[in-house]
Amino acid sequence: MKQVSLYLIAMCMAASTASAASIEGRTASMESQLKGNHGYHAELARELASIASEEKYQHDTDVGKAFMRLAEEHAQKAGGK
Amino acid sequence: MKKILLLAAFTSMTACSAHLPSTHISDLDEVRAAIQTSKDAGAEKCAPKSQAKAVAAMYQAAHEITDEAGYHPEEDADLITSALKYAQQARDEAKNNCAKPKPVLVVIPKPIVRYVKPAPMVMKPKPVVKVPVKPVVLEVIALEGVYFASSSADLTSASSASLNDAVTVLQKRPDIQIEIAAYTDSRGKNSYNLALSKLRAHSVMNYFTSHGIKASRLSSQGYGEINPIADNATREGRAKNRRVELHVMK
Repeated sequence: MKQVSLYLIAMCMAASTASAASIEGRTASMESQLKGNHGYHAELARELASIASEEKYQHDTDVGKAFMRLAEEHAQKAGGK
Repeated sequence: MKKILLLAAFTSMTACSAHLPSTHISDLDEVRAAIQTSKDAGAEKCAPKSQAKAVAAMYQAAHEITDEAGYHPEEDADLITSALKYAQQARDEAKNNCAKPKPVLVVIPKPIVRYVKPAPMVMKPKPVVKVPVKPVVLEVIALEGVYFASSSADLTSASSASLNDAVTVLQKRPDIQIEIAAYTDSRGKNSYNLALSKLRAHSVMNYFTSHGIKASRLSSQGYGEINPIADNATREGRAKNRRVELHVMK
């Protein structure tokens, strides 16, 4: 049981490491890759990243990260990140 | 220690699995329908920014509506209204943008204007209107002894001697142009006499051409009963008026 708990903690810590960068930094990175792209997915990625920043500003960091993940998914569809 | 590890694992999993709520909630039925309508109108392609704003507003609304941290009905309503507004805007833009092809900017080059020295005006000479010159009869040669059958253009055999003499004269004078003129007396209709005289003049012309005179030197004209040279009241006079003349033309 002890080993399982340690494994779960390790997994989630590893996963959170990937998104350890700040929302602002991820947004900037995403935006640089979407530069000049004004397609639907690129625009939606920008809107979602903006909401993510807003949520973070309201101290809802987890929701901010969730919006940021969604933003990055659409950025990927747009041909960006 | 065991409990602490379990709590830490649960806490980490909760944070790890943080995700956005589904947008398929009844409060957003109208928004989903509006977004689907604009999408069907081609908004993702023709109005991407407005469509993206509508979808993003829907996600945000879904989060706020289901947020257990607090109940914010005004904020929820604002987000729904915003999503609907953007969806409507996206639909309108899509209708316009998808229907109309983007205008192609066509640059029409300015025409090159070159000065071309006009060609000097050339006055066309007025066409010379040839006024037909009325032929002048220089000489009249009466052909005596030329006879026709009654009311006919057939030459009688007695006419041959006189006609042959005329052929001889024409052969000796190859430079003259001849009009063969025939006349009748005044008996009968004028139109008939005119037609008969034309036929008789033509018979004489045929005689000349058949005896070697070039047709280009000859013409024939019937004058009918005009210009009588004798009295039509007498038999002798009418006989004189029925005549053939050779007009030497200039």
